[in-house]
Amino acid sequence: MANFALKDRSAIVGVGESAYGRKLMRSAIDLAADAIVGALDDAGLTREQLDGLVVSFGSPIGADGDTLAQVLGLNLRAYNQTWAHGRFTGSCIQWAALMVNAGLADAVACLASVSFSAVRRPMMGGGGDREGGREAGGGHGEDPVFGMTSPGAGAAMVARRYFERFGADSRALAAVPIAFRKHASMNPHAIMREPFGIDEHQRSRFVCEPLHLLDYCLINDGAACVIVTTAERANDCRKSPVYISGMQPLPAGREEFIWSYPGMGIAQQSVFEYQPELQAVYKMAGITPADVDALFTYDAFSILAWIALERWGFCKPGEAAAFTQNGRIEVGGELPMNTNGGLLSEAHIMAWNHQVEIVRQLRGECGRRQVKDASVIQWANAFGDSIVYRR
Amino acid sequence: MPQNSYQKPLPAISSLNKPYWDGLRNRELMLQKCNGCGMIWAPPSPLCPACWSRKFTWTRLSGRGRVSSWVVFHQAYFRSFEGDLPYNVAEVELDEGPRLLTNLVDIGNDAIRAALPVEVVFDDVSDDVTLAKFKPRAA
Ligand SMILES: [Zn+2]
Repeated sequence: MANFALKDRSAIVGVGESAYGRKLMRSAIDLAADAIVGALDDAGLTREQLDGLVVSFGSPIGADGDTLAQVLGLNLRAYNQTWAHGRFTGSCIQWAALMVNAGLADAVACLASVSFSAVRRPMMGGGGDREGGREAGGGHGEDPVFGMTSPGAGAAMVARRYFERFGADSRALAAVPIAFRKHASMNPHAIMREPFGIDEHQRSRFVCEPLHLLDYCLINDGAACVIVTTAERANDCRKSPVYISGMQPLPAGREEFIWSYPGMGIAQQSVFEYQPELQAVYKMAGITPADVDALFTYDAFSILAWIALERWGFCKPGEAAAFTQNGRIEVGGELPMNTNGGLLSEAHIMAWNHQVEIVRQLRGECGRRQVKDASVIQWANAFGDSIVYRR
Repeated sequence: MPQNSYQKPLPAISSLNKPYWDGLRNRELMLQKCNGCGMIWAPPSPLCPACWSRKFTWTRLSGRGRVSSWVVFHQAYFRSFEGDLPYNVAEVELDEGPRLLTNLVDIGNDAIRAALPVEVVFDDVSDDVTLAKFKPRAA
């Protein structure tokens, strides 16, 4: 059980990002500098006040914490880094919240910087994916021996299982990328801004069937950063703090598979009807899913939005297919999701861009895509970690 | 095709999984079975994931199971799989419980169904390595 005393004891006080693009021809360190400088400026903090750094997704696609500190001239009391997976975004922010409350650091920059275009061999599947061949299997269910490679293939395996078990199909799933593209069309920073419909989704080529190209996120360049400090220090910053009200860490075990919730029967998961009780993150924040004004999730693949909705109790297993239709997850709908356009359409900055958008939504800075009166926004993933933010 | 022309990725054989690969070489699908609680598991582990007993026996399985999920690759990530496109990868739930990743053979991709009954076939891909693939069987 999380330490409820940490409810609202830390806050994000600044956000920043680089340009996002398919091929920026800029290095990961170069991009990271834009995000860090931008976030400090947004917070009204100086470089000297920054004494902590948490990095997700380092080299060779990204920039590592130690080199960032050295090259950018940061004097850090504390830094930490996760391995090169997007799954650790929420974990990094949770670490930072713990660090500032434990006195290990005063202000912590949390970020990922990625320059996919700078990497010669694709690391997301195929011969360049060394992790896919690691002992006992890759992090997304890869087994190169059978040609099972790339994170998307694991998501396709979950999608097929979901379709067969609950009677859903690819046309229903199209509602997710269509909604996020609509959001991106209202976001000048997004890479893909042209709206599309179901037929275009269905016509897009299969990458790993049953997932089409438009079910896949972007591969791109960019960096995004958030600054975490204590609630007390947050009051001295330039803009209104966005408080971290609830935290739920990343689970692991035989009942977990990165792209599904327990009971789905993927990899070595048991098969049962998943019934989420009120998750710890809600208890810590003192809310229920009904209090959430907008939901943000790691949408590397469209199916992950359905899995997240069911995992966190916004609907029952098998119901996300219907839940996501008719604009319900769009701005103006009952539960707007990924209003920035997500990894599917804004950019794949390991969902650090999602954290930036959450903060801007809670500050009311999002213009045409602003969620009216947004006061509680949840970051919650298919893989089981979550943060509840409030203004 | 000469045996040494196999270009696809080969398994990383370790101290932990060697009995599995040796079993396939001998036309036997073997996994560990706990002497204490009876659990049969995959992938190989130094101890029983259920009860943590280190007393287990490599046990020959029926080689039968059912398709629990599958995908069809339309994109060539590995050059060595390019000629197979579109090719399937399936999860097969063995009658004994564990699931294995595999390729389904002797079946068109469009004919694959959930819960399709399948049985193991042994594919010698090199002098040292045999892969467990699965083909449809009568229910
Ligand atoms: Zn046991």
